[in-house]
Amino acid sequence: MHLTWTAEDEEFRAELRAFLAEHAPGKPPKDAAGRLAREKAWAATKFDHGWAGPSWPKAVGGMELSFSRQVIYQEEMTAARVPSHPGVGINMVGPTLITHGTPAQRERYIRPMLRAEELWAQAFSEPEAGSDLPSLRTTARRDGDFYVVNGQKVWNSRAELADMFFALVRTGTQESRDKGISYLLIDAHAPGVTVRPLRDMTGAEHFAEIFFDDVLVPVGNRVGEENGGWRIARTTLGHERAADALNQAAFYERIVGELIALARERGAAADPVQRDQLADFAIRARIMQVNAIRTISTIMTSDEPGPTSSISRLYNSTFEQQLHVFATDLLGGYGVLAPQDPNAVQRGRWTWGMLGTRASTIGAGTAEIQRNTIAEQVLGLPRDPAMPSRQ
Amino acid sequence: MDFAFTPEQEELRSSLRRFFAGKSPTSEVRRVSETADGYDPLLWKQMAEQLELQGLVIPEEYGGSGFTAVELSVVFEEMGRALVCAPYFSSVALAAQVLLAVGDDEAKARWLPGIADGSLIATVAVTEDDGAWGLEHVLASAVPAGDSWVLDGAKTFVVDGHLAGLLLVVARNDQGLGVFAVEGDQPGLTRTPLSVLDFTRKLARVEFNAVPARRISPDGDATAALSRGLDAALAALAAEQAGGAARCLEMAVDYAKTRVQFGRPIGSFQAIKHKCADMLVAVESAKSAAYYAAWSAADAAGGVADGGELAVAAALAKAYCSDAYFQVAAENIQIHGGIGYTWEHDAHLYFRRAKSSQLLFGGPQRHRSRFAELVGI
Repeated sequence: MHLTWTAEDEEFRAELRAFLAEHAPGKPPKDAAGRLAREKAWAATKFDHGWAGPSWPKAVGGMELSFSRQVIYQEEMTAARVPSHPGVGINMVGPTLITHGTPAQRERYIRPMLRAEELWAQAFSEPEAGSDLPSLRTTARRDGDFYVVNGQKVWNSRAELADMFFALVRTGTQESRDKGISYLLIDAHAPGVTVRPLRDMTGAEHFAEIFFDDVLVPVGNRVGEENGGWRIARTTLGHERAADALNQAAFYERIVGELIALARERGAAADPVQRDQLADFAIRARIMQVNAIRTISTIMTSDEPGPTSSISRLYNSTFEQQLHVFATDLLGGYGVLAPQDPNAVQRGRWTWGMLGTRASTIGAGTAEIQRNTIAEQVLGLPRDPAMPSRQ
Repeated sequence: MDFAFTPEQEELRSSLRRFFAGKSPTSEVRRVSETADGYDPLLWKQMAEQLELQGLVIPEEYGGSGFTAVELSVVFEEMGRALVCAPYFSSVALAAQVLLAVGDDEAKARWLPGIADGSLIATVAVTEDDGAWGLEHVLASAVPAGDSWVLDGAKTFVVDGHLAGLLLVVARNDQGLGVFAVEGDQPGLTRTPLSVLDFTRKLARVEFNAVPARRISPDGDATAALSRGLDAALAALAAEQAGGAARCLEMAVDYAKTRVQFGRPIGSFQAIKHKCADMLVAVESAKSAAYYAAWSAADAAGGVADGGELAVAAALAKAYCSDAYFQVAAENIQIHGGIGYTWEHDAHLYFRRAKSSQLLFGGPQRHRSRFAELVGI
């Protein structure tokens, strides 16, 4: 079970490997600041050598790779264990600027974005606008050449590191819902911006809250039309996420291997009931790999992602949640320890995972919203008449 | 590119879909399933003559057209969708695959052409009265008698065992397991049709009382080669399950779009949407599992790989597709509500097929256990 590549594709792989062999950074340092510096330096190295933005147009400094080469690109980057880009959501804001931004916006923002000179964070969700994002309440009142922004955003990963936010704000009436939303690029260091870390249920601070208090944003930082932000917020370029599908599957395959090792260590692999479950996880991980290959093959032959692409998030998130619960059960009595306890098995990683993967079926669209989307967009089931319609 | 169907394979799929929709609608499935033989000889003949389906994967030198397990999986997916009543699984997936995997040249030359042109219905008899599917449970015995052998024992849950003109029987001799060919008219052979849960697939108990047989497997123990043949059959069965599951999802979605309660189509309620979305996850993943097994079977048959990956893929696919089909067939009834519980509605035909095929050739747990062993869990 594998994908086959043309000789030209293999040549591309060899070039990429040569670049990685020469430039890939060494082992990550222990401290957070050192790790961030390493991530930024690597993003700059990639850009300066023409290896950044695999799906982005050459005109903005991207590589404009064919889909098959994007798959190879992701494969090799993962295999080389190089750091990922430190900016959050650059594959959301980047394509949005490329498709809907002005030449001045592209000129100003894309290069520093790819080089990680400026870090970005997403500012969409609000305390009262989660799954129902079109009900968001952060307002942007027009005042001459500026918008005056007031409101609160939440669940913003790495917002405390960000230099820029891409945000959805209300420029129309509250009742206009998705037809009264604009897309703004907001300077994270502007007066009136407060970022406060948010402690999540794992005990860590992966996310933050952002408060806007009379923050002035130049009108030139609006992307697209006023009140036209909703439609462009989900712009993507090609199938960047699908190109990474095989890596995700390989990642889970590795986790299953580690789970099996854990089960052996704890004497559970020989128990028929536990063994049956282990086999089930191993089977599902391998099917995830075939789903990924099918998605990639379908895009390559028809340029359409096909049904396996739409189910993958639901499949993968449910899978990793169940896997970590099972792993915690395998720990027996040790499952009651906090991950920080010195006696926690494998430094508490399975417990961290059990806690952390609760977010898998919530973040970036809850599993329930995904099921609605699959039902309506893939299966063609009718819309819920009680739900407000969207553009 | 691997793992995408070629335009020719897609063309095969759509022509089969048209063919079975025309020739084997569920009204016809119900009629044929109530006959004693359980298949329609006219349809069987058309499958052989118009579409050459029986000979699809049989090599050209034995009268077939030499396609691969990938094309075969397309056929099974489509037949699974349509619930076609025909001795196709027994003859083409079981008997032909076992003949190809273990049979000597003479045996292949003698029986494969008949299977390929549809004139010979054949099957494989493995399981015995304890109902266990593992080859290690085989007790039937074969004793040499001059140039041939004599079989004693009983086999049950033999697919199309009530009418097969050729039975390939797994029996034990002093060298281990062997495969023995028994033609349907041999003395000492008693067949008893079973009354079955899934009446679209007939099963029989077959007794062998000093039945003369010909050994088709080479000297020594045939377990490894036989497993390869049976794994290829499991890959076909998994494709059939994926096809049946896909059809159940379609039935459920079509109904949910048109059935109105509380003044709106029930498919507009999230409770129904979420079920259908979960069914799609199961259906697409079952297809992935089945295609993985089909590709592995093709690689094994083509000599690209040994049977190692096929064994893993067959166990994986049989375990996953069995559970997925059952889940989707059960939810299909639930989404249909009262009408889905009636005899007249087709939902129970699929539900019966799903449960029966889940248990035939070993249930999901058995295959997960085998998978665990093969991948070293």
